[in-house]
Amino acid sequence: MLKDARDYQILFLSLFLVLGIGTRDWTLHPEFILVAIATCCLTQWVAASLKYFIEVDNKDARDNGNTEGLIDTKNLADVFNFSLVKPAFRSAIITSLGLSLLLRVDHCSTMVLAGAIAISSKFIFKIKDKHFFNPANIGIIAVLVLTQDAWVSPGQWGEDWWYLLLFAGTGGLIVKKVGRWDTTAAFLGAYALLEAIRNFWLGWTWDVYWHRLMSGSLLLFALFMITDPRSIPNARISRYLWAISIALLTFILRNYFFIPTAVFWALFALAPLTIVFDSIWQAPRFSWQETSPSFTENLTLDLAIAPKSAPQMEREKSQVG
Amino acid sequence: MKVFRIVLSCILAFVIFISFPPNAWAFCGFYVAKADAKLYNQASQVVLARDENRTILTMANDYQGNVKDFAIVVPVPVAIQKEQVRIGDAKVIERLDAFSAPRLVEYFDSDPCQLEEAEQDLRFFSTGSALNGAVAQRSSDTALGVTVESKFNVGEYEILILSAKESNGLATWLKQNGYRIPKGANQLLQPYIRQQMKFFVAKVNLAEFNRSGYQNLRPLMIAYESPKFMLPIRLGTINSTSEQDLIVYVLSPKGQAEVTNYRTVKVPSGDEIPPFVKNEFSDFYKAMFQNSYTKEGKKTAFLEYAWDMGSCDPCSAEPLTVEELKKAGVFWLKPDEGSNAFISRIHVRYTRDKFPEDLMFQATANREQFQGRYVLRHPFKGSMTCQAGEQYKKSLAKRFDREGETLAKLTGWKIQDIRQKMDLAQTQTEPFWRNIWQEGN
Repeated sequence: MLKDARDYQILFLSLFLVLGIGTRDWTLHPEFILVAIATCCLTQWVAASLKYFIEVDNKDARDNGNTEGLIDTKNLADVFNFSLVKPAFRSAIITSLGLSLLLRVDHCSTMVLAGAIAISSKFIFKIKDKHFFNPANIGIIAVLVLTQDAWVSPGQWGEDWWYLLLFAGTGGLIVKKVGRWDTTAAFLGAYALLEAIRNFWLGWTWDVYWHRLMSGSLLLFALFMITDPRSIPNARISRYLWAISIALLTFILRNYFFIPTAVFWALFALAPLTIVFDSIWQAPRFSWQETSPSFTENLTLDLAIAPKSAPQMEREKSQVG
Repeated sequence: MKVFRIVLSCILAFVIFISFPPNAWAFCGFYVAKADAKLYNQASQVVLARDENRTILTMANDYQGNVKDFAIVVPVPVAIQKEQVRIGDAKVIERLDAFSAPRLVEYFDSDPCQLEEAEQDLRFFSTGSALNGAVAQRSSDTALGVTVESKFNVGEYEILILSAKESNGLATWLKQNGYRIPKGANQLLQPYIRQQMKFFVAKVNLAEFNRSGYQNLRPLMIAYESPKFMLPIRLGTINSTSEQDLIVYVLSPKGQAEVTNYRTVKVPSGDEIPPFVKNEFSDFYKAMFQNSYTKEGKKTAFLEYAWDMGSCDPCSAEPLTVEELKKAGVFWLKPDEGSNAFISRIHVRYTRDKFPEDLMFQATANREQFQGRYVLRHPFKGSMTCQAGEQYKKSLAKRFDREGETLAKLTGWKIQDIRQKMDLAQTQTEPFWRNIWQEGN
């Protein structure tokens, strides 16, 4: 029905937000959601434009032997030409919805900071054109550390079965769409096993165990955050290892350091492992668009801001000239 | 036009408010009643003053039985020494309760024909009584893997800090020492032992108690440093399936506190309800709370109040002084820095099956203020001869309907009963002498 799996994500995340506002008595402020969306999209656009200019300049410099690196005035108009700059607004919207769902702030400026850092991180923290921090996650961690008025409410999703089913069903759909269900399974499986062992050892009744797992926030994280295929390891084996490490760290931080936001810290701390795992186990990069095998070489480029193909460049140059 | 006048009278009231510092009344509404903790039959009250990893926990003691039978066993995160335990002031808990209790405010419509100052009324109500407790006696013995970490007297209490290696040993030790622990406690003690928690055991030293001359047991305060921000509720549900009320006052220099492993929901607030509720506010609040509790599936914590302790509006009681805050355990105040404390009143009604896990808390940066507040609007009853008066009368019928429906929705009371009571209240006309002779206070 919808071409891009991200459209499903946007749809479902929006649905959760609407449900949240409508029924769950959160400290959700619609104006903060708008601010988050605006900031993320704007940052995405600016960063994508900058990247476009740098790439075009470099290419011009290479082609013409021109080392002055002056920006062609005509190129400035390209900033508004989204088909050239290709800002990935879908990804930006997903990030902003994720922030709105999970992060709570007192002031708009904090949400702006979170959104700006989230999106910029995609352009800054990357190796071989692949960003390794989950944007929403780094946005959350950044404002938790840098500001005084941000917090995460892990208990606010409650534990209703109904929500569990809704999350699992829709989340599963999305995950299946993007072909990374294995990460969710590995994370939830490992975490559930660790909690089960602890529960058994402590001698709590099993309803305590279920209560600990029936957290909507945990599921939201497992289904929508650690499955982001653009920032997680490429090979299946490395994804398993990666997800299990996050589960283990979450378990330790939650049970021995009593940090309520353990999952976010665990993901933040272990995100760079992606690079290590990718260098050990190689596999094709993930692309949001369905592509033919002959196009796989382009998958190594960041599709969020994919540079133009060579013939297109040639055409433009002749028009300019 | 009517709205404009009401707004104008509010603005006038505001002008007065800022010109003359108010006493017990506040902006455009008057506090008349509160629903405090005495409302519930089984309400425990706990104050948690916390900054970073430091906590001062105050447990109110409203034990009603024979003091010689009184004993409590509370799992605590770390070993406690004598200087970490103090006797608290029951009055301070009463003050916190009164300050943060859900409140009723009333407004008086002005004469739609003539702009008048709103009249004022101020009354205080409270109802019910309370209790809680556990059981025990005394003797001595050792071994069984139980270590007495420390033993001391504070005020009328004899306190033991125990650590244990395994639950059966601890249970046997407690029994041998005359503590009547409930059946099934062994299994429940084990998780705490394995988490390296200690046990704070207190009972009453009768000689001290008699010498002190107090009628009731005083609150116990414990200061400790631990990243664990929690309240153990499981031990209290061992052999009880009934609902228990716990009111937690979290004091923090940051902002609102919330429960992290259960949902924290705000109680319904701000609704306009029929004026007759003034005489049955405690029934109203109890019914409304029970109704919200059931609607939320009996598994959420309720936020009843969240406010900076420096102010209130309207005030159901004067804000606590710096001295009182210190008595409540607020340890981070520095001289000349005012009272930087944010209170969250969290009301948990828990049962064994819906609250399997102990309560975990966090203080957030959320400085948004919230209060459980219910509004009464008294219609203007004087004679109205102008056109605006006619319109006002017409608008009243709609308003009464709306208020009745709101009340039915909030409390689950039958709408017929509410309408009957409202009609009764409406038809009662004021005796003619009221105009000149005010009711005595």
